Amino acid sequence: MHGHKTFDSSALPRALTERPRILVQPLESMAAVAETRLVTITINDVELQVPKGELIVESVKRLGLEIPIFCYHARMKPVGMCRMCLVEVGFKQPDGSVRKMPKPQAGCTLPADNNMVIYTDTEMVHRDRKGVLEFLLVNHPLDCPICDRGGECPLQNNTIFYGPSTTRFTELKRHLPKAYPLSQYVTLDLERCIQCGRCVRFTEEISGDAQLAFRFRGSNMQPSTFQLLDFDSKFSGNVIEICPVGALTSAKYRFRARPWDLETSPFNCLECSNHCSVWFDHRAGKFVRMNGRTNEAVNEEWTCDKGKFGQDWINDSNRSVKVMVRKGDAFAESTWSEAYDQIIAAFSGGHCAALIGGKQSNESLFLLGKLFRDGFKSNHLDSRWTRHLTDDALKLAPDTIASLEHKKTILILGTSLADELPMVFLRARKAWFKNGTQVLNVTAKANEADAFATQSLRYDEDHEADVVAGIRLALEGAADDAFALVARRAQVSAADFRAIAKELGPDTAIITSRSIFNVGDAGDVLDGLQAIARKTGCTFNCYAVNGNDAGAEALGLIGGQGSLNTREILEACVNYRVKALWLFDCNPFDLYPDHHLVNDALESVAFLVVQGSNSSSLTPYASVVLPSAAPAEQDGSYVNMEGRLQRGKGMLQAPGDAKPSWRIFSELLLRTAGGTPYFNPSEILQAIGQEVPSFAGVGDGELLKSAVAGGVTA
Amino acid sequence: MSLDLMRDVAKPILAGFGITAQRLKKKKVTISYPDERREQYQRTRWRHYLVRYESGLEKCIGCSLCAGACPARCIYVEADENTDQERYSPGERYAKRYEINMLRCIFCGYCQEACPTGAIVLRQNFELANYERKDFIYTKEMLLEKVPGEADECYNRVPTIR
Amino acid sequence: MAELKLLFEHAGNPAYQTIEGYIAKGGYQALDKALKMERQAIIDQIKASGLRGRGGAGFPTWIKWNGLPKEKTKRHHIVCNADEGEPGTFKDKQLMEETPFLLVEGMTLAGIACQGDAGYIYIRGEFIDAAKAMRKAIDEAYAAGFLGKNIRGSGIDFDLYIHLGAGSYECGEESALMSSIMGERGMPRLKFPHAPLPTIAGLWDEPTLINNVETFCCAPFIVNKGGEWYATMGASTKNSRGTKLFSVSGHVGKPGNYEIEFGTTLMELLEMSGGMTGGKLKACVPGGSSVPIMTAEMCDGAIIGYEEMMQAGSMVGSGGCMFLNDKTCIVQFIWRTAMFYAVESCGKCTPCREGTKWMLQILERIVKGNGQPGDKELLLDITSQIDGRSFCGLGDAAAWPVAGAIKVFPEEFDYYIANGKSIVGSPLPMVPA
Repeated sequence: MHGHKTFDSSALPRALTERPRILVQPLESMAAVAETRLVTITINDVELQVPKGELIVESVKRLGLEIPIFCYHARMKPVGMCRMCLVEVGFKQPDGSVRKMPKPQAGCTLPADNNMVIYTDTEMVHRDRKGVLEFLLVNHPLDCPICDRGGECPLQNNTIFYGPSTTRFTELKRHLPKAYPLSQYVTLDLERCIQCGRCVRFTEEISGDAQLAFRFRGSNMQPSTFQLLDFDSKFSGNVIEICPVGALTSAKYRFRARPWDLETSPFNCLECSNHCSVWFDHRAGKFVRMNGRTNEAVNEEWTCDKGKFGQDWINDSNRSVKVMVRKGDAFAESTWSEAYDQIIAAFSGGHCAALIGGKQSNESLFLLGKLFRDGFKSNHLDSRWTRHLTDDALKLAPDTIASLEHKKTILILGTSLADELPMVFLRARKAWFKNGTQVLNVTAKANEADAFATQSLRYDEDHEADVVAGIRLALEGAADDAFALVARRAQVSAADFRAIAKELGPDTAIITSRSIFNVGDAGDVLDGLQAIARKTGCTFNCYAVNGNDAGAEALGLIGGQGSLNTREILEACVNYRVKALWLFDCNPFDLYPDHHLVNDALESVAFLVVQGSNSSSLTPYASVVLPSAAPAEQDGSYVNMEGRLQRGKGMLQAPGDAKPSWRIFSELLLRTAGGTPYFNPSEILQAIGQEVPSFAGVGDGELLKSAVAGGVTA
Repeated sequence: MSLDLMRDVAKPILAGFGITAQRLKKKKVTISYPDERREQYQRTRWRHYLVRYESGLEKCIGCSLCAGACPARCIYVEADENTDQERYSPGERYAKRYEINMLRCIFCGYCQEACPTGAIVLRQNFELANYERKDFIYTKEMLLEKVPGEADECYNRVPTIR
Repeated sequence: MAELKLLFEHAGNPAYQTIEGYIAKGGYQALDKALKMERQAIIDQIKASGLRGRGGAGFPTWIKWNGLPKEKTKRHHIVCNADEGEPGTFKDKQLMEETPFLLVEGMTLAGIACQGDAGYIYIRGEFIDAAKAMRKAIDEAYAAGFLGKNIRGSGIDFDLYIHLGAGSYECGEESALMSSIMGERGMPRLKFPHAPLPTIAGLWDEPTLINNVETFCCAPFIVNKGGEWYATMGASTKNSRGTKLFSVSGHVGKPGNYEIEFGTTLMELLEMSGGMTGGKLKACVPGGSSVPIMTAEMCDGAIIGYEEMMQAGSMVGSGGCMFLNDKTCIVQFIWRTAMFYAVESCGKCTPCREGTKWMLQILERIVKGNGQPGDKELLLDITSQIDGRSFCGLGDAAAWPVAGAIKVFPEEFDYYIANGKSIVGSPLPMVPA
């Protein structure tokens, strides 16, 4: 059943293999756009004032009432397909009487207007709701007991509250393929579909890839991908959450648990630097699934597939669970105290360094810095892995994710936003879709942002510096021949540079990511973009990409000012100036472009500590392996790429001997520098607030001071 | 004096013996358990069984509704997907793990009531005593009847008296 | 009353299908006149004529024409709904094939009156001949300077395009038709009061006028001879003026399109079309399959007019008039009608998508002899759950014929359910797969 595509696709032209590019144009008269003018309406005999044009389904919430819905979703244009939200509507006449409309109206599409009178609790409304539910259920299979949505299903809930208790349907139900794999993540059960169109509209309006559409019509209508291609959207997981029935389910969560089996806790996804707010569902100490949690400032309510389906490593069988110490040529299980003794012996004396990566909390990072400075008398720590290293940290992120929504123009340079910064991508698209922001997509390769970009500019790979130089020339009004060199190298014409430059102004945001520091002449790119920002008055954002990189930078875990940076540390390992190296949750082979240098460094260094939550290919180089807890297994705070501090709570038990990193550093700190140890992350966060200026007084969900004060730096 | 003694002491004693003597004629109510067993009422709720269809397939679909209904939270279900090669129950889903903690169970029968397929039933077998705490965790292998219909017969196979 | 041929005066005359022949018979006089008139004066003439939409709803035409913004800020579009898909209706097909210039001139008049930039004729995909005829007429009109830039030297521009549908009944609904023209799935869009009227925000969110073929074809006569003259026809009725095309079909001697004046009786229409064949009149569906069915008694004395037909228990609709003789089984007839609506439901809203299918399943069971007591009441209940609850009017249209038939022929349903066979003994008709 699973893994086999059983659709009859003979009706489709197989010659067509390219996905058609379908674009839903935003319309000016979106019913959802509410004005600021207030109108007076009456709901169930209660008079209230609401903004003109507010949808009735939203207005009733002001009275604490609820209209049942299926197809309506507050973040998408209303369509009025399911008819579940029917209400009686009338208009107050000058003489005070109410003239009712002859037919019930859909509350999800009806904009509020003066003198409108709404009834949500009449006999007719109850009868209509019952009728719609009866219709929805005639072809809906009663396999709730095995349906992954059972227990948290809007159709179940509405049926219990508003539906009929029995059915009058005695015919054969519709039979269609079950458990059809739309993609490796999303499973489609066509029998359960109630054709509300939420998934289709999501791909058209939110993710913008328009990969889903309805096929056939009438009672045969079914959502599907075009030509039955794979549903390979980078945001496909969201349709599982917005589906009001169990038609779209997660292939990874399939039959794993029922909702009442799960415990859930608020959490922040750390798969990239956006730190989406999510619900982390776990059962019997194991991670089960992750769903979006509403946070208007960051992810609204969406998640990306990379985060939603990328958490399996927590349950992985290759989790590092034992302290290992090298004894001669052999590698043996050991105890924490033995490992600590060896580490202290090797690291004391100052000829040591640490390289940092991944998803570690501010608390762990802060204590690591403290351990090295106070305990090991070394300042050689670096969390950056790009070829070109900069120390501007959060000063390069003046725009928050939410503020992008109101920009007039967004210039995306050299980054595939949907891959690197998914929530920034969704905001940029929303800005275009809702507010008409024009998006300029200047990247080497085609990507998702092209679908809505006003201008898409392609250049020869690794020539970002020339592209930036070209835009600068255009801004300066240079003559055609001045462009000759950059135009030839980047393969972009002067006219194209001018077309981009023309659109830049004070209300523009330039977006790029830290990965641009990996290209040749990255320093020139950075300088050039800052110069453009100064000249046009626009904002320039160079967002961090990975886990808690922004936090590590804010805590000063970056080389420079007398301490060695990543490249220098690796080089120092090769020529024996660094005798002990600590790899904290990072694999330099994955992160650093120069593999030869990494290999030489790891082979040369006398003592290597490999600390992380999963065992890796680094073990053969290691002197000591320390197992540490995953983010979900420890309390901690994290800083996202806009400088937002968010705290997470540990929910799971760390496996085996694994300890939270901050505890490891605290214990080592006690053994080296002495003093009072830190007992919990809250204490450490307090200490961070006292010792690191940008963290002072910053609470959960707030922006770090360096981010708020940030701007273009010369 | 002695007459009074007769009336106050001997007469009640004799009356008591009389009652005992009358009882001797009646059928005795005790049975010599475990050699003999009493028949249980039809609706007695004791040990759980997971039952099978005639075809031998399990009725349990691993829906966890029993676990949801359980007031003592003593049921743990882990489901998985049937394949055509490896089929346990008729539909898409079956219980890979099914465990009941009998120490916690209060024998309320809500699990039986919640079950949409009639897979879990509580029958008359009340002999649940054991020596080790861990032995009270009944696994799916213990709960599942070996042959279809076994659960209905479970207690009647031992000698019973009325 | 007899037939009154206004639109159809020259129908069937091949010369009338050429621009020379059309002009020779008085064509394009209205256009020349309109070019000299104030825009509002044209609309006033339409208002005076009392012309009402001929597509089925009977909405006063002048209100639509008057509804487009007078101060033009965006493009204005004129759309002709030629997606004639109502079972029993075939008048627009003949109009387009035999009098194509009437439509071209009518739309041009609307373009002048409403400051239209372009017109779109949305022709049903199956009407290849009609589309060809329209193409030829439009090309000739362009060549003669009646379309395109600077029409007749007036400085007014108006372009006319043909858009062929892809065979969906739903696209005859005006908002679905607009979706289809814009390249979207043919599904209805939000309507007033949920969204602005098409005259404010229609095609591409710009003001749009949508009328039926027949409505546009009336415009040249009204502008040419004056609204008052047009209003003299049908003056005997309450609020219906002019002539109406009826597509008569069923058990009649001479099926075809008949143009009659409002005020004519239904029986006169039956007589015109050759009277009943094969039996006595049993029932009539006067305005296309979606209007309620009438019994012979109801037909007797029924006067054709929008309000008059409502009084008689049915509607003028689109004019697809089907007469059924007494050998017809109403249950089977309704089953066949329900099949059409189940197949043609676009699937957007729940009541229509699920309700039409369910009704068909029940009716199918009944006609196959497996009806159960209570089915009739269940059907009535389902129709009441669709009627008024669906997204667009086509849900209502699917519910009315079933509800109407059960109301006026309850005994036929009772008999079929009780005995498993038709009251008139007719066998189950063959249905194309």
